[in-house]
Amino acid sequence: MNSKQSLSDFISKSRKLRGKKFGKKIKIGILSSFTINGLSEVLQVKCAEKNIECITYVGGYNQYNQEILNNKSNFYKFSPNITFLILDTRSLLGEFFYNPYSLSASERKDFVNDKVKEILNLVDTFCKNTESKLVLTNFALPVYSPYGIAESKTDYGFHDMIVDLNSKLKESLKEFNSVYLFDFLLFVLKYGEKHVFDFQNFFFGDIKISLDFIPNFATELMSYVIGVLGISKKCIVLDLDNTLWGGIIGEDGLEGIQLGPQPPGNSYMEFQKILKSLSARGIILAINSKNNLEDALNVISKHPHMILREKDFACMKINWNDKVQNMKEIAFELNIGDDSMVFFDDDPVNREYMRMNLPDVYTPDLPSDSSQYAEILQSINEFSVLKITKEDSHRSQMYLQQKKRKELEKTSSNLDEFLKTLNLHVTIQKSNNFNIPRISQLTLKTNQFNLTTKRYQEEDIRKFSNDSKMLVGCAQIEDKFGDNGITGVFVVEKNNPDEWILDTFLLSCRVMGREVEKSILNYVISEARKSDVARIKAQYIPTKKNKPIEEFLPSCGFVKKKDHWIYNLDKPFKVPEFIKVDVR
Amino acid sequence: MTEKLYNLIAKVLNVPASEINDESTPESIESWTSFNGYVLLYELETSFNVKFSIDEAMDVKNVADIKRHLNNHGVVFDD
Repeated sequence: MNSKQSLSDFISKSRKLRGKKFGKKIKIGILSSFTINGLSEVLQVKCAEKNIECITYVGGYNQYNQEILNNKSNFYKFSPNITFLILDTRSLLGEFFYNPYSLSASERKDFVNDKVKEILNLVDTFCKNTESKLVLTNFALPVYSPYGIAESKTDYGFHDMIVDLNSKLKESLKEFNSVYLFDFLLFVLKYGEKHVFDFQNFFFGDIKISLDFIPNFATELMSYVIGVLGISKKCIVLDLDNTLWGGIIGEDGLEGIQLGPQPPGNSYMEFQKILKSLSARGIILAINSKNNLEDALNVISKHPHMILREKDFACMKINWNDKVQNMKEIAFELNIGDDSMVFFDDDPVNREYMRMNLPDVYTPDLPSDSSQYAEILQSINEFSVLKITKEDSHRSQMYLQQKKRKELEKTSSNLDEFLKTLNLHVTIQKSNNFNIPRISQLTLKTNQFNLTTKRYQEEDIRKFSNDSKMLVGCAQIEDKFGDNGITGVFVVEKNNPDEWILDTFLLSCRVMGREVEKSILNYVISEARKSDVARIKAQYIPTKKNKPIEEFLPSCGFVKKKDHWIYNLDKPFKVPEFIKVDVR
Repeated sequence: MTEKLYNLIAKVLNVPASEINDESTPESIESWTSFNGYVLLYELETSFNVKFSIDEAMDVKNVADIKRHLNNHGVVFDD
């Protein structure tokens, strides 16, 4: 978390990475219309910090057209998982960057349309030649125009050209599932054209992102690495005193703490508002605080300026227990891994203690100045996902329903009784354009109830879905407390007409322990019977996290043969009767 | 001050500081590529808190030139 490391710091660090072992791996292609040396080294260092081995291919200077149009290029041979195509306004517009008004307004429009076509053609060729995801930058808006302040009175002026170009690109690229537009204009807006673009750098080496801003640029691109690898954080765990409000409730009392429209109370309100917006988009909030429960709840439910209320927290550990222990319990209760959590605490000792004991929890530094909290939270890119699914935006609500289920579970005398009262309803669908993003997301994120932990990108799932030798489907799970959304996935390989292979079978942790997996498996079994298949072959690939599914295959009647499990279809399959199943 | 300069050059060019002297040139040090030259320039500007003109930057042919231009910006080398 060093505030500013220079490009050469990163380059030196990258040299020391060779030969090191990492948990994950990603291959990144970098293509650009200008000199972008140094970016690959920064990406390697930033990946290594997240235990990812990053292998890069940097295309030759301004060779992006050749690399993409030649299907035998070295770039394609490298076969990246993700490619950053970094283009700049100056190169794209050529002489019209300086002289846009040598063209008439209608010619300017045609020019922009041609440029959009050119880029789309490139993207199209790219997608035909590689499975790599593509991140294309949009175009920075140059502050200078020869028309100066008269720009705003000009029909389809220079600035309008860039705005139009960007919006047409964004619209057209929505059709491409594996292509993403990185808002480079916004990046320049964040740091300012004067900083990002340095004339000397440009004159010396056609460097269009100045050397001191390459690390910042890499930070932004890391969001895609996090999204592609599915390692985004799911939960923010918060301390209370001096984190959600100023002061100490146990000493200052309800009226004494700082929280409200006046400074410094407004900085805490701002922080809470951003937390609330993250919660609305699917990040779970929880509390881990040393306090008297009664004092803290009093603030949460009664303080007039609290933005976050009890219903916003999926889990609250407010007690005098050890914070690491509390953290473990939160992870257990929410059924998520340590590596899915971010911990905010104003006390550096607590933070260090957390980092030492639970290094997988991301514990960012917080300054003693609360006016910086909001900015720090906004600058964290650990929550990045490539797409927000319907399930994401309903997640907080679902965890609230989960809390109620847990309460019912406590009052029921036994598990069967409890499950019967849940009115479980499973809807099974084959994969289609609407559920493919979610199916892919589940294969990327599910760790515990996952038979083989095979990770599939959207394009993979799409390819399987179009393959008559594959069966891909998902299950939506509802009960009397609400809709959990699509939370189960199966992928079956049907190459052998006698023996289908269960390639992937998983359930989101939210719906574990309700026997819905048996209803889903029963669907696969009945489909197999319809096709006169003799048996289903499955495999359990153990990982550090998928212990919960270990007993699944034997409990369903699969029999072990060497390193595989076989289910003979002449054997009747027992389905849980209390679950209603629909097939769509 | 010379030591600070040599260490900085050595770090950017990834060579031992002992290999750097006033006569070092892009020809004598393999890693002194044009791009590393820009990185070096940027690091010099940040570390010594100076700003080189484009003429000064283009004039650098060896380490002694760097010293001379730094000196023009008020950086004093004792030796």
